[in-house]
Amino acid sequence: MMRTLAIAVTLALGTASLAAQGVMVAPHAVFIDHRLRSGSVLLYNPGTEPVEVAISTIFGYPTTDSTGRIMLDTLRRDSTVSALGWIQAFPRRLTVGPRERQTVRLLARPPAGLPDGEYWLRLVIAAQAGRVPITGVADTTAIQVGLTLEVRTIIGVNYRKGPVSTGVTLSQVTAQIVGDSLITRSKLERRGNAAFIGMIRETLVDSTGAVHAQRVGDSVVTTFASPIGVYIAMQPRLASAIPQPGLPRGRYWLRYEVVAEREDLDPMVVLKAPAVRDSVRLVVP
Amino acid sequence: MRKALVLALCVGLAARAAAQAGSSVSADAVVVTVGMTISTLRDLNFGTVIKGVPSTILPTAVNAGEWQVSGSANAFVIISFTLPTQLTNIQALPGSTMPIAFSALAAIWRRSTNNPVGGTVFNPALGSVGRFGPPANPTMYVWIGGTVAPAVAAKPGIYQGNVIVSLVYQ
Repeated sequence: MMRTLAIAVTLALGTASLAAQGVMVAPHAVFIDHRLRSGSVLLYNPGTEPVEVAISTIFGYPTTDSTGRIMLDTLRRDSTVSALGWIQAFPRRLTVGPRERQTVRLLARPPAGLPDGEYWLRLVIAAQAGRVPITGVADTTAIQVGLTLEVRTIIGVNYRKGPVSTGVTLSQVTAQIVGDSLITRSKLERRGNAAFIGMIRETLVDSTGAVHAQRVGDSVVTTFASPIGVYIAMQPRLASAIPQPGLPRGRYWLRYEVVAEREDLDPMVVLKAPAVRDSVRLVVP
Repeated sequence: MRKALVLALCVGLAARAAAQAGSSVSADAVVVTVGMTISTLRDLNFGTVIKGVPSTILPTAVNAGEWQVSGSANAFVIISFTLPTQLTNIQALPGSTMPIAFSALAAIWRRSTNNPVGGTVFNPALGSVGRFGPPANPTMYVWIGGTVAPAVAAKPGIYQGNVIVSLVYQ
């Protein structure tokens, strides 16, 4: 616990030491139980200037495009799983002072006869600090150009009524080495009446069963892991790098696993589901 | 304790300690999971530009726009932008604008390291999926550049606009 607390303090106060202007949003996913019908999100301003925050809601969920890129689909406004019409956030506008925290409350008024299941929306927290003046404006004949950067944090809100269950099916797993990268695709389809929140894990082994490391950014890992949220269906494309000097010639297996585990979420809100696995062969000529 | 953090406790303590130095501190803890912070480190500042001469800021330039994002270690976030096509002269009559464009190489993200050189280049119009750093440094940086094209007849003054970055947690 002390370690996690230290991380939180570092996150909260470490950013404050910069000349940064922003707002912390916690948690990054909200789960509302039908029996309580309310939730909350904490906003904290670690900076030295007030931050104006606007709160709004949209309907959307992660999906993938034809290339496997994960994106937020916000087009299905009339979806039967949308909670957009009956979950409201208060207040809609607020100012968070320096080193202050404020709470945004979510209040649900579900329609009568709402079937059991899970309903979704996304909370948009838009923050803008004071406008930074452009220097050198004394010359009235000059043209000065500057753009202000705004930030929007978009988090999921999942409303659960009655018994909810989830699961995922895995198919069409492919893997290939492209240059120094390991590229995978798969097809994931949700089962049950709630989103599948979990992880994809990929492990590369050779014909002797020895595990080969993968590189993700600056980290070298034996198992590549990616959080995933399967709300309807998706075909994610994942990429990791093979550390130098690359893979020797030979045959390899990619073990592909999707599990209902998330280290960044309270296990109480992660619905249990059986893990699904597959393996595909890779040949390095 | 599981992975849930008493984050609000330390946040609240810090805030109240600053506001009530010398008095007793009462802290009401709310148990939450780790949060996500997006901070604007630097606006996208073209400075003074010359009429009729396009001006480009690369995402690796010192005056590129920059955000810092802190969150759960190794987690992925969807990065998307809302980009302006015109900037408005805030010192002139309405209608005085300047076009701005963002190339397919105008944005970069990088985990942990506050240096765009070596980061992942992407098209801001399409967005990307970024990733926080490992537990020792669960941060990610995002940079953006752009090109403005002041007309020969552009009116003097300050031209401004907004770039909005959205980060979607899965």
